[in-house]
Amino acid sequence: MHFIFSDEVVLLFDFWSVHSPAGMALSVLVVLLLAVLYESIKVGKAKLLYQAAVSMSIPTIQLTEETDQDSLGSDSAPVSRTHLRWFFCHFGQSLIHVVQVVIGYFMMLAVMSYNTWIFFGVIIGSAVGYYLAYPLLSMV
Amino acid sequence: MAYNSTTGPHHHHPTTPASHSHGMGMDNMMMHMTFYFGFKNVELLFSGLVINTAGEMAGAFVAVFLLAMFYEGLKIARESLLRKSQVSIRYNSMPVPGPNGTILMETHKTVGQQMLSFPHLLQTVLHIVQVVISYFLMLIFMTYNGYLCIAVAAGAGTGYFLFSWKKAVVVDITEHCH
Repeated sequence: MHFIFSDEVVLLFDFWSVHSPAGMALSVLVVLLLAVLYESIKVGKAKLLYQAAVSMSIPTIQLTEETDQDSLGSDSAPVSRTHLRWFFCHFGQSLIHVVQVVIGYFMMLAVMSYNTWIFFGVIIGSAVGYYLAYPLLSMV
Repeated sequence: MAYNSTTGPHHHHPTTPASHSHGMGMDNMMMHMTFYFGFKNVELLFSGLVINTAGEMAGAFVAVFLLAMFYEGLKIARESLLRKSQVSIRYNSMPVPGPNGTILMETHKTVGQQMLSFPHLLQTVLHIVQVVISYFLMLIFMTYNGYLCIAVAAGAGTGYFLFSWKKAVVVDITEHCH
Protein backbone atom coordinates (compact mmCIF):
# COMPACT_ATOMS: atom_id res chain seq x y z
CA MET A 1 0.00 0.00 0.00
CA HIS A 2 1.32 3.40 -0.85
CA PHE A 3 0.15 6.99 -1.24
CA ILE A 4 -1.64 7.72 -4.50
CA PHE A 5 -3.03 10.83 -6.10
CA SER A 6 -6.59 9.96 -7.01
CA ASP A 7 -9.99 11.56 -7.34
CA GLU A 8 -11.78 8.48 -6.03
CA VAL A 9 -11.89 7.52 -2.41
CA VAL A 10 -14.33 6.13 0.12
CA LEU A 11 -13.87 7.85 3.46
CA LEU A 12 -14.97 6.37 6.77
CA PHE A 13 -18.60 5.68 5.89
CA ASP A 14 -20.34 3.91 3.03
CA PHE A 15 -22.18 7.00 1.92
CA TRP A 16 -19.05 9.14 1.73
CA SER A 17 -17.74 8.04 -1.63
CA VAL A 18 -16.00 10.53 -3.85
CA HIS A 19 -15.79 10.20 -7.62
CA SER A 20 -15.06 13.65 -9.01
CA PRO A 21 -12.53 16.45 -8.51
CA ALA A 22 -15.21 18.69 -7.04
CA GLY A 23 -16.18 16.01 -4.56
CA MET A 24 -12.55 15.47 -3.71
CA ALA A 25 -12.02 19.20 -3.11
CA LEU A 26 -15.04 19.25 -0.83
CA SER A 27 -13.84 16.18 1.03
CA VAL A 28 -10.41 17.70 1.54
CA LEU A 29 -12.07 20.82 2.91
CA VAL A 30 -14.18 18.77 5.32
CA VAL A 31 -11.14 16.83 6.52
CA LEU A 32 -9.23 20.09 6.92
CA LEU A 33 -11.98 21.57 9.06
CA LEU A 34 -12.09 18.38 11.08
CA ALA A 35 -8.38 18.72 11.83
CA VAL A 36 -8.85 22.37 12.79
CA LEU A 37 -11.66 21.32 15.10
CA TYR A 38 -9.45 18.66 16.68
CA GLU A 39 -6.71 21.12 17.53
CA SER A 40 -9.16 23.67 18.89
CA ILE A 41 -10.86 21.03 21.05
CA LYS A 42 -7.50 20.24 22.60
CA VAL A 43 -6.95 23.87 23.48
CA GLY A 44 -10.58 24.39 24.47
CA LYS A 45 -10.51 21.48 26.88
CA ALA A 46 -7.43 22.84 28.61
CA LYS A 47 -8.90 26.31 28.88
CA LEU A 48 -12.23 25.01 30.18
CA LEU A 49 -10.45 23.00 32.83
CA TYR A 50 -8.40 25.97 33.92
CA GLN A 51 -11.38 28.33 34.03
CA ALA A 52 -13.52 25.85 35.91
CA ALA A 53 -10.82 25.28 38.49
CA VAL A 54 -10.21 29.00 38.88
CA SER A 55 -13.90 29.76 39.25
CA MET A 56 -14.20 27.24 42.03
CA SER A 57 -11.17 28.66 43.84
CA ILE A 58 -9.12 25.54 43.49
CA PRO A 59 -5.43 26.41 43.57
CA THR A 60 -4.02 25.91 40.13
CA ILE A 61 -0.67 26.09 38.46
CA GLN A 62 0.04 27.90 35.26
CA LEU A 63 -1.56 26.67 32.11
CA THR A 64 1.66 26.22 30.19
CA GLU A 65 2.95 23.31 32.23
CA GLU A 66 5.69 24.71 34.42
CA THR A 67 6.13 21.95 36.88
CA ASP A 68 8.65 23.54 39.14
CA GLN A 69 6.39 23.80 42.14
CA ASP A 70 4.68 21.12 44.08
CA SER A 71 1.33 19.99 42.86
CA LEU A 72 -0.84 22.43 44.71
CA GLY A 73 -4.10 21.56 43.15
CA SER A 74 -4.16 17.87 42.69
CA ASP A 75 -4.50 16.93 46.32
CA SER A 76 -7.15 19.35 47.48
CA ALA A 77 -10.66 18.14 46.89
CA PRO A 78 -13.29 20.76 46.23
CA VAL A 79 -15.52 21.68 49.11
CA SER A 80 -18.81 19.88 49.42
CA ARG A 81 -21.06 22.68 48.30
CA THR A 82 -19.34 22.86 44.93
CA HIS A 83 -18.97 19.10 44.68
CA LEU A 84 -21.98 18.72 42.45
CA ARG A 85 -20.83 21.55 40.22
CA TRP A 86 -17.45 19.94 39.95
CA PHE A 87 -19.07 16.63 39.06
CA PHE A 88 -21.00 18.16 36.17
CA CYS A 89 -17.98 20.10 35.02
CA HIS A 90 -15.85 16.98 35.02
CA PHE A 91 -18.56 15.00 33.27
CA GLY A 92 -18.64 17.63 30.54
CA GLN A 93 -14.88 17.44 30.28
CA SER A 94 -15.11 13.68 29.82
CA LEU A 95 -17.63 14.08 27.01
CA ILE A 96 -15.33 16.55 25.29
CA HIS A 97 -12.53 14.04 25.77
CA VAL A 98 -14.59 11.34 24.05
CA VAL A 99 -15.24 13.70 21.13
CA GLN A 100 -11.52 14.46 20.94
CA VAL A 101 -10.60 10.77 20.92
CA VAL A 102 -13.16 9.95 18.24
CA ILE A 103 -12.10 12.83 15.98
CA GLY A 104 -8.47 11.84 16.42
CA TYR A 105 -9.24 8.31 15.31
CA PHE A 106 -11.33 9.56 12.39
CA MET A 107 -8.38 11.61 11.21
CA MET A 108 -6.13 8.56 11.53
CA LEU A 109 -8.57 6.51 9.44
CA ALA A 110 -8.81 9.29 6.86
CA VAL A 111 -5.05 9.24 6.44
CA MET A 112 -5.24 5.45 6.23
CA SER A 113 -7.19 5.79 3.00
CA TYR A 114 -3.74 6.47 1.51
CA ASN A 115 -5.11 9.27 -0.62
CA THR A 116 -2.52 12.03 -0.84
CA TRP A 117 -5.03 14.88 -1.14
CA ILE A 118 -6.77 13.78 2.05
CA PHE A 119 -3.40 13.47 3.76
CA PHE A 120 -2.52 17.04 2.77
CA GLY A 121 -5.89 18.16 4.08
CA VAL A 122 -5.22 16.58 7.46
CA ILE A 123 -1.72 18.05 7.69
CA ILE A 124 -2.74 21.56 6.63
CA GLY A 125 -5.78 21.43 8.89
CA SER A 126 -3.63 20.46 11.85
CA ALA A 127 -1.21 23.26 11.06
CA VAL A 128 -3.96 25.87 10.68
CA GLY A 129 -5.72 24.64 13.79
CA TYR A 130 -2.55 24.74 15.85
CA TYR A 131 -1.68 28.17 14.52
CA LEU A 132 -5.08 29.61 15.35
CA ALA A 133 -5.78 27.87 18.64
CA TYR A 134 -2.56 27.70 20.65
CA PRO A 135 -2.05 31.43 21.17
CA LEU A 136 -5.44 31.38 22.87
CA LEU A 137 -4.01 29.04 25.47
CA SER A 138 -1.87 31.71 27.07
CA MET A 139 -4.62 34.33 26.92
CA VAL A 140 -6.22 33.49 30.23
CA MET B 1 -13.59 -17.47 1.48
CA ALA B 2 -16.11 -16.62 4.15
CA TYR B 3 -18.51 -13.86 3.17
CA ASN B 4 -19.87 -11.56 5.81
CA SER B 5 -23.47 -10.90 4.88
CA THR B 6 -24.14 -8.21 7.44
CA THR B 7 -21.61 -5.73 6.13
CA GLY B 8 -21.66 -3.16 3.38
CA PRO B 9 -19.60 -3.19 0.21
CA HIS B 10 -16.06 -4.31 0.75
CA HIS B 11 -12.92 -2.88 -0.66
CA HIS B 12 -10.84 -5.68 -2.06
CA HIS B 13 -7.16 -5.06 -2.25
CA PRO B 14 -5.87 -6.39 -5.58
CA THR B 15 -2.90 -8.63 -5.07
CA THR B 16 -0.36 -9.01 -7.82
CA PRO B 17 0.89 -12.55 -8.36
CA ALA B 18 4.50 -11.45 -8.45
CA SER B 19 4.56 -10.15 -4.93
CA HIS B 20 2.29 -12.66 -3.21
CA SER B 21 3.43 -15.94 -4.67
CA HIS B 22 5.36 -17.11 -1.68
CA GLY B 23 2.67 -19.08 0.04
CA MET B 24 1.41 -16.27 2.22
CA GLY B 25 -1.91 -16.91 3.89
CA MET B 26 -4.70 -15.23 1.97
CA ASP B 27 -7.14 -15.15 4.84
CA ASN B 28 -7.05 -11.38 5.34
CA MET B 29 -8.03 -10.18 1.90
CA MET B 30 -11.23 -8.58 3.18
CA MET B 31 -10.29 -5.39 4.96
CA HIS B 32 -13.14 -3.08 5.70
CA MET B 33 -12.61 0.53 4.74
CA THR B 34 -15.90 1.88 6.08
CA PHE B 35 -17.69 1.52 9.37
CA TYR B 36 -19.94 -1.51 9.79
CA PHE B 37 -21.81 -3.25 12.57
CA GLY B 38 -21.30 -6.98 12.66
CA PHE B 39 -19.93 -9.77 14.74
CA LYS B 40 -19.24 -12.55 12.28
CA ASN B 41 -15.68 -13.33 11.31
CA VAL B 42 -14.12 -10.32 12.99
CA GLU B 43 -10.37 -10.66 13.36
CA LEU B 44 -9.00 -8.84 16.35
CA LEU B 45 -5.30 -7.99 16.42
CA PHE B 46 -3.95 -11.52 16.53
CA SER B 47 -4.33 -14.39 14.15
CA GLY B 48 -6.05 -16.74 16.56
CA LEU B 49 -8.47 -14.13 17.86
CA VAL B 50 -11.56 -14.32 15.66
CA ILE B 51 -14.99 -13.25 16.82
CA ASN B 52 -17.86 -15.31 15.45
CA THR B 53 -20.77 -15.01 17.85
CA ALA B 54 -22.57 -12.24 19.70
CA GLY B 55 -21.29 -13.54 23.02
CA GLU B 56 -17.69 -13.33 21.83
CA MET B 57 -18.34 -9.83 20.57
CA ALA B 58 -19.71 -8.85 23.97
CA GLY B 59 -16.58 -10.23 25.62
CA ALA B 60 -14.39 -8.39 23.15
CA PHE B 61 -16.35 -5.20 23.82
CA VAL B 62 -15.68 -5.46 27.54
CA ALA B 63 -12.01 -6.27 27.00
CA VAL B 64 -11.46 -3.34 24.65
CA PHE B 65 -13.39 -1.07 27.02
CA LEU B 66 -11.14 -2.07 29.90
CA LEU B 67 -8.03 -1.66 27.75
CA ALA B 68 -9.00 1.89 26.82
CA MET B 69 -9.77 2.66 30.48
CA PHE B 70 -6.41 1.25 31.53
CA TYR B 71 -4.70 3.39 28.90
CA GLU B 72 -6.20 6.59 30.29
CA GLY B 73 -5.27 5.55 33.81
CA LEU B 74 -1.72 4.81 32.72
CA LYS B 75 -1.41 8.30 31.26
CA ILE B 76 -2.54 9.91 34.49
CA ALA B 77 -0.33 7.64 36.57
CA ARG B 78 2.72 8.56 34.49
CA GLU B 79 1.95 12.24 34.91
CA SER B 80 1.73 12.00 38.67
CA LEU B 81 4.85 9.83 38.88
CA LEU B 82 6.73 12.38 36.84
CA ARG B 83 5.66 15.24 39.05
CA LYS B 84 6.56 13.38 42.20
CA SER B 85 10.01 12.51 40.97
CA GLN B 86 10.98 15.91 39.64
CA VAL B 87 12.67 17.21 42.74
CA SER B 88 16.04 18.17 41.37
CA ILE B 89 16.01 21.79 40.29
CA ARG B 90 19.22 23.37 39.11
CA TYR B 91 19.70 27.08 38.96
CA ASN B 92 22.29 28.59 36.66
CA SER B 93 22.93 32.31 36.98
CA MET B 94 24.83 34.17 34.34
CA PRO B 95 25.48 37.86 33.81
CA VAL B 96 23.99 39.38 30.69
CA PRO B 97 24.28 42.95 29.48
CA GLY B 98 21.16 44.95 30.07
CA PRO B 99 19.96 48.35 28.87
CA ASN B 100 21.98 51.45 29.68
CA GLY B 101 25.13 49.42 30.11
CA THR B 102 24.08 47.73 33.34
CA ILE B 103 24.76 44.10 34.04
CA LEU B 104 21.76 41.92 34.79
CA MET B 105 21.79 38.46 36.27
CA GLU B 106 19.80 36.02 34.22
CA THR B 107 18.79 32.87 36.01
CA HIS B 108 18.03 29.66 34.20
CA LYS B 109 16.16 26.95 35.97
CA THR B 110 16.26 23.39 34.79
CA VAL B 111 14.12 20.61 36.13
CA GLY B 112 15.17 17.14 35.39
CA GLN B 113 15.92 13.63 36.42
CA GLN B 114 19.10 11.69 36.32
CA MET B 115 19.26 9.24 33.46
CA LEU B 116 19.95 6.10 35.42
CA SER B 117 17.73 6.83 38.37
CA PHE B 118 14.92 4.45 39.12
CA PRO B 119 12.09 6.94 38.43
CA HIS B 120 13.41 7.59 34.95
CA LEU B 121 13.75 3.90 34.17
CA LEU B 122 10.25 3.29 35.44
CA GLN B 123 8.97 6.16 33.31
CA THR B 124 10.68 4.62 30.29
CA VAL B 125 9.12 1.22 30.87
CA LEU B 126 5.70 2.78 31.36
CA HIS B 127 6.25 4.83 28.21
CA ILE B 128 6.84 1.67 26.21
CA VAL B 129 3.71 0.12 27.66
CA GLN B 130 1.76 3.28 26.83
CA VAL B 131 3.02 3.35 23.25
CA VAL B 132 2.18 -0.32 22.69
CA ILE B 133 -1.31 0.04 24.14
CA SER B 134 -1.96 3.17 22.10
CA TYR B 135 -1.00 1.32 18.91
CA PHE B 136 -3.21 -1.61 19.91
CA LEU B 137 -6.13 0.78 20.37
CA MET B 138 -5.36 2.32 16.98
CA LEU B 139 -5.33 -1.11 15.35
CA ILE B 140 -8.60 -2.03 17.06
CA PHE B 141 -10.17 1.16 15.74
CA MET B 142 -8.77 0.25 12.34
CA THR B 143 -10.95 -2.85 12.16
CA TYR B 144 -13.76 -0.37 11.42
CA ASN B 145 -16.10 -2.52 13.52
CA GLY B 146 -18.73 -0.24 15.02
CA TYR B 147 -19.03 -2.11 18.30
CA LEU B 148 -15.29 -2.16 18.94
CA CYS B 149 -14.89 1.52 18.00
CA ILE B 150 -17.65 2.46 20.42
CA ALA B 151 -15.90 0.38 23.07
CA VAL B 152 -12.66 2.31 22.52
CA ALA B 153 -14.37 5.69 22.70
CA ALA B 154 -16.50 4.81 25.73
CA GLY B 155 -13.54 3.28 27.54
CA ALA B 156 -11.44 6.36 26.91
CA GLY B 157 -14.19 8.62 28.19
CA THR B 158 -14.86 6.54 31.29
CA GLY B 159 -11.16 6.20 32.04
CA TYR B 160 -10.67 9.94 31.68
CA PHE B 161 -13.65 10.59 33.93
CA LEU B 162 -12.55 8.20 36.65
CA PHE B 163 -8.84 8.89 36.74
CA SER B 164 -8.77 12.63 36.12
CA TRP B 165 -11.17 13.30 38.94
CA LYS B 166 -8.63 14.83 41.22
CA LYS B 167 -5.77 15.41 38.82
CA ALA B 168 -7.70 18.26 37.47
CA VAL B 169 -5.30 21.08 37.30
CA VAL B 170 -2.35 19.84 35.34
CA VAL B 171 -3.16 19.90 31.68
CA ASP B 172 -1.09 18.11 29.09
CA ILE B 173 -1.51 20.07 25.92
CA THR B 174 1.15 18.31 23.95
CA GLU B 175 -0.57 14.95 23.70
CA HIS B 176 -1.92 13.96 20.32
CA CYS B 177 -2.67 10.37 19.63
CA HIS B 178 -0.87 9.29 22.75
